[in-house]
Amino acid sequence: MKRWHIRDIILVTILAIFMGVIFWVIGPLYTVLSAALAPFGLSPLANELLLGIWVMAGPLAGFIIRIPGAATLGELLGAVVEMFLGGIWGASTLISGVVQGFGSELGFIFTGYKRYNWPTLVLTALTTTIVTFTWDLFRSGYAAYHVPFLLLLFAVRFASVFVFGGVLTKLINNLLVRAHVLPNATH
Amino acid sequence: MNPSLKLGLIVAIALEVSFAQVWTVNVALIAVSLILMLLNHVSFKRLLYLTLVPLFFSSTLVWSLSLRGSASPHFLLVIFTRLFVYVYMGGLFTQTTEPLTLTRSLEQNAKLPSKFAYGFLAAFNLMPKIRAEVATIKAAAMMRGQVLHFWSPQLYFKVILAAMNWSDQLAAAMTSHGFIEGAPRTHAMTIPLVARDWWLFGGCLLLVQVGLFCGLP
Repeated sequence: MKRWHIRDIILVTILAIFMGVIFWVIGPLYTVLSAALAPFGLSPLANELLLGIWVMAGPLAGFIIRIPGAATLGELLGAVVEMFLGGIWGASTLISGVVQGFGSELGFIFTGYKRYNWPTLVLTALTTTIVTFTWDLFRSGYAAYHVPFLLLLFAVRFASVFVFGGVLTKLINNLLVRAHVLPNATH
Repeated sequence: MNPSLKLGLIVAIALEVSFAQVWTVNVALIAVSLILMLLNHVSFKRLLYLTLVPLFFSSTLVWSLSLRGSASPHFLLVIFTRLFVYVYMGGLFTQTTEPLTLTRSLEQNAKLPSKFAYGFLAAFNLMPKIRAEVATIKAAAMMRGQVLHFWSPQLYFKVILAAMNWSDQLAAAMTSHGFIEGAPRTHAMTIPLVARDWWLFGGCLLLVQVGLFCGLP
Protein backbone atom coordinates (compact mmCIF):
# COMPACT_ATOMS: atom_id res chain seq x y z
CA MET A 1 0.00 0.00 0.00
CA LYS A 2 1.28 3.49 -0.88
CA ARG A 3 2.50 5.87 1.80
CA TRP A 4 2.26 9.65 2.02
CA HIS A 5 5.03 11.61 0.35
CA ILE A 6 5.55 15.33 0.15
CA ARG A 7 4.18 15.45 -3.42
CA ASP A 8 0.91 13.76 -2.42
CA ILE A 9 0.54 16.04 0.59
CA ILE A 10 0.98 19.15 -1.54
CA LEU A 11 -1.38 17.72 -4.17
CA VAL A 12 -4.19 16.96 -1.71
CA THR A 13 -3.81 20.43 -0.17
CA ILE A 14 -3.89 22.21 -3.54
CA LEU A 15 -6.95 20.15 -4.52
CA ALA A 16 -8.65 21.12 -1.27
CA ILE A 17 -7.90 24.79 -1.91
CA PHE A 18 -9.22 24.54 -5.48
CA MET A 19 -12.43 22.97 -4.22
CA GLY A 20 -12.65 25.64 -1.54
CA VAL A 21 -12.36 28.37 -4.18
CA ILE A 22 -14.92 26.77 -6.50
CA PHE A 23 -17.36 26.25 -3.63
CA TRP A 24 -16.83 29.75 -2.38
CA VAL A 25 -18.69 30.85 -5.52
CA ILE A 26 -21.80 28.82 -4.70
CA GLY A 27 -22.05 30.17 -1.12
CA PRO A 28 -24.57 32.86 -2.18
CA LEU A 29 -26.59 30.20 -4.03
CA TYR A 30 -27.01 28.35 -0.73
CA THR A 31 -28.19 31.49 1.03
CA VAL A 32 -30.65 32.37 -1.72
CA LEU A 33 -31.95 28.81 -1.91
CA SER A 34 -32.52 28.56 1.83
CA ALA A 35 -34.18 31.96 1.90
CA ALA A 36 -36.52 30.91 -0.91
CA LEU A 37 -37.44 27.66 0.83
CA ALA A 38 -37.64 29.14 4.33
CA PRO A 39 -41.27 30.38 4.28
CA PHE A 40 -42.43 26.80 3.69
CA GLY A 41 -40.28 25.47 6.50
CA LEU A 42 -38.18 23.66 3.91
CA SER A 43 -34.86 25.45 4.40
CA PRO A 44 -33.01 22.24 5.43
CA LEU A 45 -33.70 21.04 1.88
CA ALA A 46 -31.29 23.71 0.58
CA ASN A 47 -28.59 22.13 2.73
CA GLU A 48 -29.50 18.64 1.50
CA LEU A 49 -29.58 19.68 -2.17
CA LEU A 50 -26.12 21.25 -2.08
CA LEU A 51 -24.46 18.93 0.40
CA GLY A 52 -23.13 16.72 -2.37
CA ILE A 53 -20.97 19.60 -3.59
CA TRP A 54 -19.46 20.23 -0.17
CA VAL A 55 -18.54 16.58 0.33
CA MET A 56 -17.06 16.17 -3.17
CA ALA A 57 -13.47 16.87 -2.10
CA GLY A 58 -13.48 13.54 -0.21
CA PRO A 59 -14.29 11.06 -2.99
CA LEU A 60 -12.34 13.13 -5.53
CA ALA A 61 -9.17 13.07 -3.40
CA GLY A 62 -9.75 9.38 -2.71
CA PHE A 63 -10.03 8.62 -6.43
CA ILE A 64 -7.03 10.67 -7.50
CA ILE A 65 -4.55 10.01 -4.72
CA ARG A 66 -5.51 6.42 -3.77
CA ILE A 67 -3.69 6.36 -0.44
CA PRO A 68 -5.50 5.43 2.80
CA GLY A 69 -6.64 8.63 4.48
CA ALA A 70 -6.77 10.69 1.27
CA ALA A 71 -10.54 11.23 1.40
CA THR A 72 -10.52 12.27 5.06
CA LEU A 73 -7.51 14.54 4.64
CA GLY A 74 -8.91 16.13 1.46
CA GLU A 75 -12.21 16.95 3.09
CA LEU A 76 -10.62 18.13 6.37
CA LEU A 77 -8.22 20.45 4.50
CA GLY A 78 -11.14 21.75 2.46
CA ALA A 79 -12.78 22.66 5.75
CA VAL A 80 -9.58 24.35 7.00
CA VAL A 81 -9.37 26.37 3.79
CA GLU A 82 -13.01 27.37 4.10
CA MET A 83 -12.44 28.41 7.72
CA PHE A 84 -9.47 30.65 6.94
CA LEU A 85 -11.01 32.03 3.72
CA GLY A 86 -13.63 33.59 5.95
CA GLY A 87 -16.19 30.81 6.29
CA ILE A 88 -18.07 31.52 9.47
CA TRP A 89 -18.89 28.10 10.89
CA GLY A 90 -15.53 27.81 12.61
CA ALA A 91 -14.68 24.74 14.62
CA SER A 92 -17.90 23.03 13.56
CA THR A 93 -16.63 23.19 9.95
CA LEU A 94 -13.60 21.19 11.03
CA ILE A 95 -15.74 18.58 12.78
CA SER A 96 -18.05 18.38 9.74
CA GLY A 97 -14.97 18.06 7.54
CA VAL A 98 -13.74 15.04 9.48
CA VAL A 99 -17.24 13.51 9.62
CA GLN A 100 -17.81 13.95 5.87
CA GLY A 101 -14.31 12.84 4.94
CA PHE A 102 -14.52 9.77 7.14
CA GLY A 103 -17.93 8.97 5.65
CA SER A 104 -16.36 8.83 2.17
CA GLU A 105 -13.31 7.05 3.51
CA LEU A 106 -15.48 4.20 4.80
CA GLY A 107 -16.51 3.44 1.23
CA PHE A 108 -12.87 3.06 0.25
CA ILE A 109 -12.06 1.06 3.39
CA PHE A 110 -14.85 -1.43 2.60
CA THR A 111 -13.37 -2.00 -0.87
CA GLY A 112 -9.83 -2.28 0.53
CA TYR A 113 -8.47 0.65 -1.55
CA LYS A 114 -8.34 -1.76 -4.50
CA ARG A 115 -11.38 -1.10 -6.68
CA TYR A 116 -12.07 2.35 -8.10
CA ASN A 117 -15.27 1.82 -10.06
CA TRP A 118 -19.02 2.42 -9.92
CA PRO A 119 -19.82 0.10 -6.99
CA THR A 120 -17.16 1.88 -4.92
CA LEU A 121 -18.69 5.27 -5.78
CA VAL A 122 -22.19 4.14 -4.88
CA LEU A 123 -20.90 2.66 -1.63
CA THR A 124 -18.98 5.86 -0.87
CA ALA A 125 -22.06 7.98 -1.51
CA LEU A 126 -24.09 5.72 0.77
CA THR A 127 -21.59 5.73 3.66
CA THR A 128 -21.15 9.51 3.33
CA THR A 129 -24.91 10.03 3.48
CA ILE A 130 -25.41 7.75 6.46
CA VAL A 131 -22.49 9.15 8.49
CA THR A 132 -23.27 12.82 7.84
CA PHE A 133 -26.99 12.31 8.39
CA THR A 134 -26.36 10.67 11.77
CA TRP A 135 -24.21 13.66 12.70
CA ASP A 136 -26.98 16.08 11.69
CA LEU A 137 -29.53 14.15 13.75
CA PHE A 138 -27.67 15.54 16.76
CA ARG A 139 -26.02 18.71 15.57
CA SER A 140 -28.86 20.32 13.67
CA GLY A 141 -31.64 18.75 15.72
CA TYR A 142 -32.89 16.63 12.81
CA ALA A 143 -34.07 14.03 15.32
CA ALA A 144 -37.00 16.34 16.15
CA TYR A 145 -38.48 16.24 12.63
CA HIS A 146 -41.47 14.06 11.76
CA VAL A 147 -40.44 10.78 10.17
CA PRO A 148 -41.81 11.39 6.61
CA PHE A 149 -39.97 14.72 6.39
CA LEU A 150 -36.83 13.06 7.74
CA LEU A 151 -37.04 10.40 5.03
CA LEU A 152 -37.42 13.11 2.40
CA LEU A 153 -34.30 14.88 3.72
CA PHE A 154 -32.37 11.62 3.67
CA ALA A 155 -33.44 10.79 0.10
CA VAL A 156 -32.55 14.27 -1.19
CA ARG A 157 -29.19 14.14 0.55
CA PHE A 158 -28.36 10.76 -0.93
CA ALA A 159 -29.37 11.95 -4.40
CA SER A 160 -27.17 15.04 -4.07
CA VAL A 161 -24.17 13.12 -2.74
CA PHE A 162 -24.62 10.53 -5.48
CA VAL A 163 -24.81 13.11 -8.28
CA PHE A 164 -21.83 15.22 -7.17
CA GLY A 165 -19.69 12.78 -5.19
CA GLY A 166 -20.60 9.88 -7.50
CA VAL A 167 -21.52 10.78 -11.08
CA LEU A 168 -19.50 13.98 -11.35
CA THR A 169 -16.48 12.39 -9.64
CA LYS A 170 -16.66 9.44 -12.03
CA LEU A 171 -16.85 11.74 -15.09
CA ILE A 172 -13.83 13.70 -13.88
CA ASN A 173 -12.03 10.44 -13.18
CA ASN A 174 -12.81 9.19 -16.70
CA LEU A 175 -11.27 12.33 -18.20
CA LEU A 176 -8.15 11.88 -16.08
CA VAL A 177 -7.80 8.21 -16.98
CA ARG A 178 -8.17 9.02 -20.68
CA ALA A 179 -5.42 11.64 -20.31
CA HIS A 180 -3.19 8.98 -18.66
CA VAL A 181 -2.38 11.13 -15.66
CA LEU A 182 -3.44 8.61 -13.00
CA PRO A 183 -0.41 6.30 -12.83
CA ASN A 184 -2.06 3.45 -10.92
CA ALA A 185 -5.48 3.47 -12.57
CA THR A 186 -6.61 0.47 -14.58
CA HIS A 187 -10.02 1.53 -15.84
CA MET B 1 -2.63 30.75 24.37
CA ASN B 2 -0.76 28.07 22.42
CA PRO B 3 -2.44 27.69 19.00
CA SER B 4 -2.64 23.87 19.06
CA LEU B 5 -4.22 23.84 22.51
CA LYS B 6 -6.59 26.63 21.49
CA LEU B 7 -7.68 24.60 18.46
CA GLY B 8 -8.12 21.49 20.61
CA LEU B 9 -10.16 23.40 23.16
CA ILE B 10 -12.47 24.95 20.57
CA VAL B 11 -13.06 21.65 18.76
CA ALA B 12 -13.69 19.84 22.07
CA ILE B 13 -16.22 22.44 23.22
CA ALA B 14 -17.94 22.53 19.80
CA LEU B 15 -18.22 18.73 19.88
CA GLU B 16 -19.72 18.72 23.37
CA VAL B 17 -22.13 21.52 22.61
CA SER B 18 -23.36 19.57 19.57
CA PHE B 19 -24.68 16.84 21.83
CA ALA B 20 -25.53 18.76 25.00
CA GLN B 21 -28.86 20.55 25.40
CA VAL B 22 -28.08 23.34 27.87
CA TRP B 23 -28.88 26.74 26.40
CA THR B 24 -27.49 28.72 29.36
CA VAL B 25 -24.00 27.31 28.68
CA ASN B 26 -24.44 28.25 25.01
CA VAL B 27 -25.27 31.83 25.97
CA ALA B 28 -22.30 31.95 28.36
CA LEU B 29 -19.97 30.70 25.60
CA ILE B 30 -21.35 33.30 23.19
CA ALA B 31 -20.81 36.08 25.75
CA VAL B 32 -17.24 34.99 26.55
CA SER B 33 -16.32 34.70 22.85
CA LEU B 34 -17.84 38.11 22.14
CA ILE B 35 -15.93 39.77 24.98
CA LEU B 36 -12.66 38.13 23.91
CA MET B 37 -13.23 39.21 20.30
CA LEU B 38 -13.87 42.80 21.44
CA LEU B 39 -10.70 42.70 23.55
CA ASN B 40 -8.78 41.52 20.47
CA HIS B 41 -10.06 44.43 18.40
CA VAL B 42 -12.07 42.42 15.88
CA SER B 43 -13.63 44.92 13.48
CA PHE B 44 -17.24 45.95 13.92
CA LYS B 45 -18.04 44.97 10.33
CA ARG B 46 -16.79 41.44 10.92
CA LEU B 47 -18.82 41.16 14.14
CA LEU B 48 -21.93 42.33 12.36
CA TYR B 49 -21.35 39.72 9.66
CA LEU B 50 -20.75 37.04 12.30
CA THR B 51 -24.10 37.96 13.86
CA LEU B 52 -26.37 38.44 10.85
CA VAL B 53 -25.47 35.23 9.00
CA PRO B 54 -26.15 32.83 11.88
CA LEU B 55 -29.23 34.87 12.78
CA PHE B 56 -30.63 34.10 9.34
CA PHE B 57 -29.69 30.41 9.35
CA SER B 58 -30.76 29.64 12.91
CA SER B 59 -34.06 31.44 12.35
CA THR B 60 -34.84 29.36 9.26
CA LEU B 61 -33.74 26.17 11.05
CA VAL B 62 -35.91 26.89 14.08
CA TRP B 63 -38.82 27.87 11.84
CA SER B 64 -38.69 24.64 9.85
CA LEU B 65 -38.16 22.56 13.00
CA SER B 66 -41.30 24.00 14.56
CA LEU B 67 -43.26 23.62 11.32
CA ARG B 68 -42.14 20.13 10.29
CA GLY B 69 -41.24 18.58 13.60
CA SER B 70 -42.28 18.11 17.20
CA ALA B 71 -39.55 20.07 18.98
CA SER B 72 -40.12 21.63 22.41
CA PRO B 73 -39.46 25.38 22.89
CA HIS B 74 -36.48 24.45 25.07
CA PHE B 75 -34.95 22.39 22.26
CA LEU B 76 -35.54 25.20 19.75
CA LEU B 77 -33.75 27.64 22.06
CA VAL B 78 -30.82 25.20 22.33
CA ILE B 79 -30.57 24.85 18.53
CA PHE B 80 -30.92 28.61 18.03
CA THR B 81 -28.07 29.46 20.40
CA ARG B 82 -25.92 26.51 19.29
CA LEU B 83 -25.30 27.97 15.82
CA PHE B 84 -24.14 31.22 17.42
CA VAL B 85 -21.71 29.29 19.63
CA TYR B 86 -20.12 27.69 16.54
CA VAL B 87 -19.83 30.98 14.69
CA TYR B 88 -18.56 33.11 17.58
CA MET B 89 -16.01 30.56 18.79
CA GLY B 90 -14.85 29.98 15.22
CA GLY B 91 -14.61 33.73 14.67
CA LEU B 92 -12.58 34.12 17.85
CA PHE B 93 -10.19 31.40 16.68
CA THR B 94 -9.64 32.58 13.10
CA GLN B 95 -9.39 36.25 14.10
CA THR B 96 -6.73 35.58 16.74
CA THR B 97 -4.68 32.82 15.05
CA GLU B 98 -2.33 33.04 12.07
CA PRO B 99 -2.31 29.95 9.81
CA LEU B 100 1.52 30.04 9.83
CA THR B 101 1.71 30.07 13.64
CA LEU B 102 -0.86 27.29 13.84
CA THR B 103 1.10 25.08 11.42
CA ARG B 104 4.35 25.72 13.29
CA SER B 105 2.67 24.93 16.56
CA LEU B 106 1.11 21.73 15.19
CA GLU B 107 4.53 20.61 14.03
CA GLN B 108 6.45 21.54 17.19
CA ASN B 109 3.89 21.03 19.95
CA ALA B 110 1.48 18.46 18.50
CA LYS B 111 4.20 16.40 16.78
CA LEU B 112 2.67 16.56 13.31
CA PRO B 113 5.25 15.05 10.87
CA SER B 114 7.19 17.89 9.26
CA LYS B 115 6.39 16.65 5.73
CA PHE B 116 2.72 17.43 6.43
CA ALA B 117 3.45 20.81 8.04
CA TYR B 118 5.66 22.00 5.19
CA GLY B 119 3.50 20.39 2.51
CA PHE B 120 0.46 22.29 3.79
CA LEU B 121 2.42 25.55 4.01
CA ALA B 122 3.79 25.17 0.48
CA ALA B 123 0.29 24.68 -0.90
CA PHE B 124 -1.34 27.39 1.21
CA ASN B 125 1.12 29.94 -0.07
CA LEU B 126 -0.15 29.19 -3.59
CA MET B 127 -3.63 30.42 -2.62
CA PRO B 128 -3.59 33.61 -4.75
CA LYS B 129 -2.22 31.66 -7.73
CA ILE B 130 -4.94 29.03 -7.31
CA ARG B 131 -7.68 31.64 -7.32
CA ALA B 132 -6.19 33.22 -10.43
CA GLU B 133 -5.97 29.79 -12.11
CA VAL B 134 -9.72 29.12 -11.68
CA ALA B 135 -10.46 32.53 -13.22
CA THR B 136 -8.02 31.85 -16.09
CA ILE B 137 -9.53 28.45 -16.87
CA LYS B 138 -13.02 29.93 -16.95
CA ALA B 139 -11.92 32.84 -19.14
CA ALA B 140 -10.01 30.56 -21.53
CA ALA B 141 -13.09 28.37 -21.96
CA MET B 142 -15.26 31.43 -22.47
CA MET B 143 -13.05 32.54 -25.39
CA ARG B 144 -13.96 29.30 -27.10
CA GLY B 145 -17.62 29.90 -26.38
CA GLN B 146 -17.68 27.34 -23.57
CA VAL B 147 -19.19 28.26 -20.22
CA LEU B 148 -17.81 26.21 -17.34
CA HIS B 149 -20.12 25.74 -14.34
CA PHE B 150 -19.37 24.15 -11.00
CA TRP B 151 -20.97 20.98 -12.36
CA SER B 152 -18.76 20.79 -15.49
CA PRO B 153 -16.23 17.92 -15.32
CA GLN B 154 -13.91 19.89 -17.66
CA LEU B 155 -13.43 22.61 -15.04
CA TYR B 156 -12.29 20.06 -12.45
CA PHE B 157 -10.21 18.20 -15.00
CA LYS B 158 -8.20 21.29 -15.87
CA VAL B 159 -7.91 22.30 -12.23
CA ILE B 160 -6.60 18.84 -11.29
CA LEU B 161 -4.04 18.88 -14.09
CA ALA B 162 -2.76 22.24 -12.81
CA ALA B 163 -2.70 20.89 -9.25
CA MET B 164 -0.68 17.83 -10.30
CA ASN B 165 1.75 19.98 -12.22
CA TRP B 166 2.29 22.40 -9.35
CA SER B 167 2.63 19.71 -6.71
CA ASP B 168 5.34 18.00 -8.80
CA GLN B 169 7.21 21.26 -9.17
CA LEU B 170 6.85 22.29 -5.54
CA ALA B 171 7.96 18.88 -4.27
CA ALA B 172 10.99 18.99 -6.59
CA ALA B 173 11.77 22.53 -5.44
CA MET B 174 11.61 21.53 -1.78
CA THR B 175 13.84 18.51 -2.37
CA SER B 176 16.39 20.63 -4.22
CA HIS B 177 16.42 23.04 -1.28
CA GLY B 178 17.45 20.19 0.97
CA PHE B 179 14.10 19.13 2.45
CA ILE B 180 14.28 15.47 3.45
CA GLU B 181 11.16 13.61 4.61
CA GLY B 182 11.46 12.35 8.16
CA ALA B 183 14.88 13.96 8.78
CA PRO B 184 15.33 15.71 12.17
CA ARG B 185 14.86 19.48 11.95
CA THR B 186 15.80 22.55 13.94
CA HIS B 187 13.45 25.52 14.23
CA ALA B 188 14.29 29.14 13.62
CA MET B 189 11.13 30.17 15.46
CA THR B 190 9.83 28.12 18.36
CA ILE B 191 6.24 28.25 19.55
CA PRO B 192 6.20 28.11 23.37
CA LEU B 193 3.98 25.63 25.18
CA VAL B 194 4.07 26.59 28.86
CA ALA B 195 2.30 25.43 32.02
CA ARG B 196 -0.04 28.42 31.84
CA ASP B 197 -1.45 27.12 28.50
CA TRP B 198 -2.30 23.77 30.06
CA TRP B 199 -3.92 25.40 33.10
CA LEU B 200 -6.02 27.62 30.85
CA PHE B 201 -6.98 24.64 28.68
CA GLY B 202 -7.90 22.46 31.67
CA GLY B 203 -9.69 25.28 33.47
CA CYS B 204 -11.89 26.21 30.49
CA LEU B 205 -12.77 22.60 29.80
CA LEU B 206 -13.59 21.98 33.48
CA LEU B 207 -15.77 25.10 33.61
CA VAL B 208 -17.77 23.91 30.58
CA GLN B 209 -18.22 20.46 32.18
CA VAL B 210 -19.51 22.02 35.39
CA GLY B 211 -21.92 24.16 33.38
CA LEU B 212 -23.18 21.22 31.34
CA PHE B 213 -23.67 18.74 34.16
CA CYS B 214 -24.78 20.78 37.16
CA GLY B 215 -28.41 20.87 36.05
CA LEU B 216 -28.69 24.26 34.34
CA PRO B 217 -31.65 24.60 31.91
